[in-house]
Amino acid sequence: MTTAVVEPASETSSILSRNRLMDALLRSLTRAAAIIVLVMLGGVIISLVDGALPAIKTFGFSFITTESWNPVTEKFGAAAPIYGTLVTAFIAMLIGVPISIGIAIFITELCPRWLKRPISTAIELLAGIPSIIYGIWGLFILAPLLQAYVQPALIATFENVPMLNNLFAGPPYGIGILTAALILSIMVLPFITSITRDVFETVPPMLKESAYGLGCTTWEVVRHIVLPYSKTGIIGGIMLGLGRALGETMAVTFVIGNAHRIHSSLLAPGTTISASIANEFTEADGVMYTSSLIALGLILFVITFIVLACARLLLARMKKSEGRHS
Amino acid sequence: MQTRPNVELTKTVLTEPTAEALREKVSVRNLNFYYGDYKALKGISLPLYDRKVTAFIGPSGCGKSTLLRILNRMYDLYPGQRAEGEVLLDGKNIIDPKMDLNLLRAQIGMVFQKPTPFPMSIYDNIAFGIRLYEKVPKSEMNDRVEDALKRTALWDEVKDKLHASGLGLSGGQQQRLCIARSIAVRPQVLLLDEPTSALDPISTAKIEELIYQLKVDYTIAIVTHNMQQAARAADFSAFMYLGELVEFGTTDQVFTKPRESRTEDYITGRFG
Repeated sequence: MTTAVVEPASETSSILSRNRLMDALLRSLTRAAAIIVLVMLGGVIISLVDGALPAIKTFGFSFITTESWNPVTEKFGAAAPIYGTLVTAFIAMLIGVPISIGIAIFITELCPRWLKRPISTAIELLAGIPSIIYGIWGLFILAPLLQAYVQPALIATFENVPMLNNLFAGPPYGIGILTAALILSIMVLPFITSITRDVFETVPPMLKESAYGLGCTTWEVVRHIVLPYSKTGIIGGIMLGLGRALGETMAVTFVIGNAHRIHSSLLAPGTTISASIANEFTEADGVMYTSSLIALGLILFVITFIVLACARLLLARMKKSEGRHS
Repeated sequence: MQTRPNVELTKTVLTEPTAEALREKVSVRNLNFYYGDYKALKGISLPLYDRKVTAFIGPSGCGKSTLLRILNRMYDLYPGQRAEGEVLLDGKNIIDPKMDLNLLRAQIGMVFQKPTPFPMSIYDNIAFGIRLYEKVPKSEMNDRVEDALKRTALWDEVKDKLHASGLGLSGGQQQRLCIARSIAVRPQVLLLDEPTSALDPISTAKIEELIYQLKVDYTIAIVTHNMQQAARAADFSAFMYLGELVEFGTTDQVFTKPRESRTEDYITGRFG
């Protein structure tokens, strides 16, 4: 202490130089961490393109449009897995998003306090279940139940409805596109719910109170205040769920049936990109087989990228048109 | 400790409106309020006179905002908060659990500490409240919106951008938009909870001017931390301290001849 008083100048300058050093260190460390992300992303893209090159050269654009997937004749087409991926993810969102938003609204606006924690904890636990468990449960519990009760009912109900009778046709296998979509919807539910709940909670209480103060019912407050206020966050949550639904591998592999076919019926077995890769990579012999599987991976990468880009575009447009409607 | 409002006294102190009779629009009678186990208001009794401005003043935490939030049952949104006693609006007890809250809140408008424009256009911010309870044709809606904006002196500033977002306005404009939104649904009572605490002096002056004009049609209760504001804007003042009503009277009387020494200490800045 006394030395500090005697020679304040040297003391201060040494502290200053140490601070400068620490700051420089922090800057370079964090910058390095950020650069690693770019390097890794670039590396993944390069290796995917490199691995897929033989398949791309051989099949060209028809790889995407061809349905047949024949390891014996080495004729590969990605149409069936692409279709399966998009359709399962779409149905999963169709089921998962309304339920998730409903749960989030209930938790933030209506739930009595004692019930809040149990529900929130249950949702977090749901998110923590490994996907292989979902797969096993789907295969041994959900699929037989669907086969015995739900699918025959669906087939019978829509038998004479045009369009829909095609969607729900054929023998009830239990496993198939619809079963995979159902499992996916359960898996994306906790993600979308917890994100939408968090953004709902960022709505300023005063804003909600002013709507209640005008005489709004809870529904009107949710519809006109909470949802518009948190729409960017909701879309973010939906996109996160969609990303998971598109890429989910293990659970889907268990229940989708793994058939490289496009069938008009949702009850028929199909496959997704990630399920195909997981199923077949170990037995892929020959350059063309491996390369085609890597090309599938590249396509999944591109699909995810497009989804993200669309989300960004949507958000930008929403921001622009905000308040212009009346 | 409570001071029963002495209507005889207030009448004699009032200078100009002696001719017109004061009518109690809202009567608060022996009101207690609890946040869980904590008693925040202790036996409050006071009147809000029809088409007059009543200011609630007092140091932070004295219960003045709590009192205001009881008048439109805002506390009902939060579990564990409850009120005992009577609050009569035109003779009807609004504390009664059977009271329809949405209807009550449509009759009693509220404006908050911070501007709270809804995430929609300026036009819709005002039309929104009207649409809740009335089905009006487009042309009439335009008139109602224009009228509300004119009464809050906002029309000239926003008439060219009615369909732009309400969030794009300045703080003072947003607060006037919120007042316009409240009066567009034609309430009978207007509650202002520190409406100028987030605003600059010029916007504050505009809001005070607005209050002066609005009291022709509405019964107004205003919570304020600003003594000068209470003195300027209010006809009656209620000084509250630690959940009790210390003094109620005409603003002139409370500020110039306070009956209670605590009122005098607070007003002259000796505490609070």
